[in-house]
Amino acid sequence: MDFSVKKFDLLAELNLTQGVVERKTTIPILSNLLCEAKGSRLTITATDLEISICTACDAKIKKEGAGTIPAKKLLELVRLLPDSEIKFKLLDNHWVEIISDRKKYKMVGMARDNFPQLAPAPHPLVKIPAKILSAMIARTAFAISTEESRYTLNGALLVLKPESAVMVATDGHRLALVETAHKFDGLNAEVRVLVPRKAMMEVQRLAAEAGEDAQVDFARDDTNLYFQFGGRLLISRLLTGQFPNYEAVLPRENDKKITLDRNELNDAVRRVAQLADQRSHAVKMALSKDGVEISSSSPEYGEAKETIEMEWKGPEISIGFNAQYLLDFLGAAAEGPISLELKDEQSAGQLRPLGDEAYQYRYVIMPMRI
Amino acid sequence: MDAFFVSVELLARPELRGKPVVVGGRPDHRGVVSAASYEARKFGIHSAMPLRTAARLCPHAVFLDGHSALYSEWSDRIAAIFAKYSPIVEMASVDEAYLDLAGTERLHGPPLAAAHKLRCEIWERTHLPASMGLAATRLVAKVASDQAKPRGLLWVAPGMEEVFLAPLPVRKIPGIGKVTEAGLHALGIQTVGQLAAVPLEKLENAFGQWGVALHRKARGQDAYEFFLDAEPKSISHNHTFGVDIDDAETLHTTLSHLAEKATKRLRDSGLYARVVTVAIRYKSFKTITRAKSLREPTDLDSVILATAKELFQANRDRRQQVRLLGVALSGFEHAAPQLDLLDAGRRERLEKLARATDRLREKFGFSKLQRGSSLRLPDDE
Repeated sequence: MDFSVKKFDLLAELNLTQGVVERKTTIPILSNLLCEAKGSRLTITATDLEISICTACDAKIKKEGAGTIPAKKLLELVRLLPDSEIKFKLLDNHWVEIISDRKKYKMVGMARDNFPQLAPAPHPLVKIPAKILSAMIARTAFAISTEESRYTLNGALLVLKPESAVMVATDGHRLALVETAHKFDGLNAEVRVLVPRKAMMEVQRLAAEAGEDAQVDFARDDTNLYFQFGGRLLISRLLTGQFPNYEAVLPRENDKKITLDRNELNDAVRRVAQLADQRSHAVKMALSKDGVEISSSSPEYGEAKETIEMEWKGPEISIGFNAQYLLDFLGAAAEGPISLELKDEQSAGQLRPLGDEAYQYRYVIMPMRI
Repeated sequence: MDAFFVSVELLARPELRGKPVVVGGRPDHRGVVSAASYEARKFGIHSAMPLRTAARLCPHAVFLDGHSALYSEWSDRIAAIFAKYSPIVEMASVDEAYLDLAGTERLHGPPLAAAHKLRCEIWERTHLPASMGLAATRLVAKVASDQAKPRGLLWVAPGMEEVFLAPLPVRKIPGIGKVTEAGLHALGIQTVGQLAAVPLEKLENAFGQWGVALHRKARGQDAYEFFLDAEPKSISHNHTFGVDIDDAETLHTTLSHLAEKATKRLRDSGLYARVVTVAIRYKSFKTITRAKSLREPTDLDSVILATAKELFQANRDRRQQVRLLGVALSGFEHAAPQLDLLDAGRRERLEKLARATDRLREKFGFSKLQRGSSLRLPDDE
């Protein structure tokens, strides 16, 4: 292997691999990147066995071949190098020589044969606009459970239908559901897959790099999901198991509805949360004829009370929510009016942004006993 | 409580009253005396003495196996009686407690009368003998209680503390063990009175900070106050095995039992725990503790047991025999306010079950109602 590549071409691809490379791994080779020089392209692969990324950039290849290089060290070094051509050459014992002008480095590599083989991508099932994937992930990813024991909640459910796409995530306390209309050419049946959290983060990163109009070739087989962004391929192990029947928990009788401005509500909850109990993060929302009172108290810090004035003719109702859960949603929701829909103190509340035309977005949040 | 383990055993074996009785195991077994009746003590038998030595000192003594679960059940019942006499009760061990009687006059009369009433009530309701010391500080009360044994009540009137302590050997002061005693003897100090007469600097030179404490203790003062805010920082239950164990079933039933015990106490205190810790001590005395934080606080056996098991399985070194297991709960909160979306009502049902379980246990004893996973404990029959 002997090639040269422009610093910024290489750096852009190296940056994309960093989320995948394991920091703490018991398998040393997984800390390395696989670099393959072939034709006029340099292909870079990273994997943690759960998720893999394969990306490429133009390079001048003198001699085809492949080697593995420690990912973190390579990124740090390339970042610090001046903007010029960088030459790579595989030496004996898997070492790799890196030369930029008169600067010379040798990094300890590992045998290419020890690097795991990636599954080849099957024929794409459908094209999804990167923009849609990214928008759906931004509206749901925060609601994914981080509890490893709740395995099937460690990802989001993606449902592709011939004319729409749905994404749902829940951690058992709240649920985020987003749906958008889009005609998927060539899709005749419904596709339901569980996408792990880490894969969602990487898809979002790749979508941001790919630009406004990029299309993602999506494919799946029995074990993996494949997201192809042009020359870049993300492979993620499929989460198996039964995602909860989310439709059963969507509220249907929440007849107490008020409309609030997203920014106004967001700012009020953020301020009031400062004095909420530091462990439970509980804030209280009370609807009365004066409007919505948002309050909190904690024995250590004191208490907070804010009123958003508005007309409310319905019965008085007072309900507790985890402030962080509210803020997660408000941060992801589109600006403009938000509909808050309640039933009673014990039942799930629902929040919907009304100004979001492209995405039907619902957030269901279970109250706290206060 | 006087010779507590023996007294509990005698409830079932009244024919042994008045005889030398040793609790701890068979005389030819390895192990030590857990408790000895006063009749056995006359032969020089005391707790922590090897069983074989005890058998040599008094070959006709009756040797009984210990039943730790039974003792803690009786201990719980006695604690419930204490709770009627003072809101501030500190269980120092399974058979020892401090009660703060300040401010209870209107309910129970002057302290001496209240103490007498309490001792009578314990006897009437349990038929277990108790001794009590009544004094202005915990330290003097403890020493007085020891002096009152068996079946006595000793009141040290305020101002009489030094007079009461002075003739006693220094070893009677709680905290003074073999080492300090030897150090004091080397300085020519035998009694508490002699200790009280030693200038502070001299004790400080000889014992450092501990010398300062000794100076205070000799006067009957203790630095330790009752905490009005008696909320514990952690609740734990440990079990030391009679013989080191590597049998998975025994380890799991023990862990389950400990988790249940700790969770019951958690609920009794009206608390919810966010952190579960498991302690494992191996035969080699190497001890590891591993903790896990829960996403939300809980007072449910099922959650705490599952977490304890997960910690145990992930961290246990299977090559080593286990000497001690412990389960500790901490990170307390007063409520678990977040309701569940996917399984609404499940936690409420489990909480109802736990409360019903607790009520039955209070009536019939802890071991009468246990999870299946806690059964088959060897010392629990």
